[in-house]
Amino acid sequence: MDKLEMIAKAEQLVGKVDDLPTIPAVATQVLQLLDQPEVQIEEVADLMLSDQVMTARVMKMINSPVYKPGHRISSLKRALVYLGLRHIREVALTTSFISAFDEKSGAAGIGTFWEHSFGVGMVSKIIAEKIGYIDLERAYIAGVIHDIGEVFFSNYLRDEFQQVMDGIKDKPVKLVDAEAEHFGTTHCEIGLCMARKWNFPESYCEVIAYHHTPTEATIDPVLCAIVNLADLFYSVRELNYGGWVSFNLYEEPSWQILKSMSPDLVQLDIERFCYELDDAIPHVKNLVTSIFNSQE
Amino acid sequence: MSISDKDFEQLRDFIYNLCGMYFHSTKKYFLESRLSRRMEATGTKTHMDYYQFLKSPRGAEELKYLMDEITTNETYFFRNVPQLNALETKLLPEIVEAKSRMGFRKLRIWSAGSSSGEEAYTLSMILLEKRATLLKDWIIEIVGTDINETVIAQAKEGVFNAYSVRNIPDLYKRKYIKEDNGKFILSPEVKKFVTFNKLNLYDDSKMIFMKSFDFIFCANVLIYFDTASKSKVVQHFYNNLQPYGYFFVGQSESLHGVNDKFKTVHFPGGFTYKK
Repeated sequence: MDKLEMIAKAEQLVGKVDDLPTIPAVATQVLQLLDQPEVQIEEVADLMLSDQVMTARVMKMINSPVYKPGHRISSLKRALVYLGLRHIREVALTTSFISAFDEKSGAAGIGTFWEHSFGVGMVSKIIAEKIGYIDLERAYIAGVIHDIGEVFFSNYLRDEFQQVMDGIKDKPVKLVDAEAEHFGTTHCEIGLCMARKWNFPESYCEVIAYHHTPTEATIDPVLCAIVNLADLFYSVRELNYGGWVSFNLYEEPSWQILKSMSPDLVQLDIERFCYELDDAIPHVKNLVTSIFNSQE
Repeated sequence: MSISDKDFEQLRDFIYNLCGMYFHSTKKYFLESRLSRRMEATGTKTHMDYYQFLKSPRGAEELKYLMDEITTNETYFFRNVPQLNALETKLLPEIVEAKSRMGFRKLRIWSAGSSSGEEAYTLSMILLEKRATLLKDWIIEIVGTDINETVIAQAKEGVFNAYSVRNIPDLYKRKYIKEDNGKFILSPEVKKFVTFNKLNLYDDSKMIFMKSFDFIFCANVLIYFDTASKSKVVQHFYNNLQPYGYFFVGQSESLHGVNDKFKTVHFPGGFTYKK
């Protein structure tokens, strides 16, 4: 199917919805503040404290096994110091995404969706590190947001989406292909429309649109390839999300893109990489659980 | 003695580099209990003492005992379910289609290190279920080989204990297993596709005659070989496969650094090697 046609179809679907979730204003302000040179942690902390839900989530996240603080951190400012400015961007964006979506219960359990998203974020960061990609946090964020279009299907076209998911359960069919067939568009184009409405930076929009077809990317194909591979590697480690996935690594275009960027990748111990990912998954689940239990 | 994270990681890396078997962190307590038996047997006091012992000249011998403790030499039906799912869902239909296109209607599978035959017979049951559909009019040959003649005799007999059959899905159990006084007897239907032979995987003169397999399974065998022997045996397996064939190792095993010709194909719960 033609990409432009699918984008037009996505625009039409997204346009019909007038209560599309919004990203909390504080999150946008935090991100803008963090982009300024010589920003002070105190300023960021003051701004974040004005959003209690965000503050609570950051505190939960920082005390979760993923960030492994030596002792319990009880003030936001300490949490931010511990994270460092770069990681604040990562935490602020993730927590605000969850705020935007968690009140709606969609077809795919929202917990499953976030587990997948955080999982892909985490694996993206690991791959980015292995190939020497310049901005690890960018890879993480790109991984977390890549499937944002799925939330739209899940929330606004719930019954139809459930049918599509049931139809591919345990079958070697990709969710993205089943969506194209059923809706005439996919979560990639839907996500792109949402990301444009939210004024996301272009490189993130591109990941959302091309994470299944990284060779079509023009702004940052390497970032798209990282997320594509992370998605594949993570998807074969979870059972409740998007069909029965399998892939031949050497035939994946994303693997070719990354190898040309980092020739040492041929030496990578893929088996060990897989086994280490198996070990990391319980941590992702803990992280998601800890964030979702933060609305006390 | 409980094992510290640091000691666990050190031993895990050592075992991985030597045998190609990876210990997931969920297996920490399992490794701990198996290590304690070996520490008692070798008179080593701490995990680090035992680690040093493994690295010493006598370590190679000790490592075999440790691997015996770890793999417990037990086998049972439907042991590696993700692998079997991958075979059924994707790999088998793919190979059947490719062969049909070329006019071939014969499928050959090898269970290398077949022990008492559970893996070979599991595969036979799965293929038997496809006899009316995907594999209609196909010739099926499953070959089990082992170096140990006692287990080959057991395999040929086809009588199993309760432990061995505990994982068989009811559908298969009802059809293909008969219980008699605590013994579980395999139906002749399942046995007829399978032959068992003695074979030493080191024996080059015999290995070159194991030809044209579509799938080769070799679980928990290569972990006992040193890297050079492993490379040689795996190269044989590579040659013994059809051009589109698949090679499966056991759960948590790795061929990294052993053979760079195989490509990894990933599926839910694991991966396999493709020629």
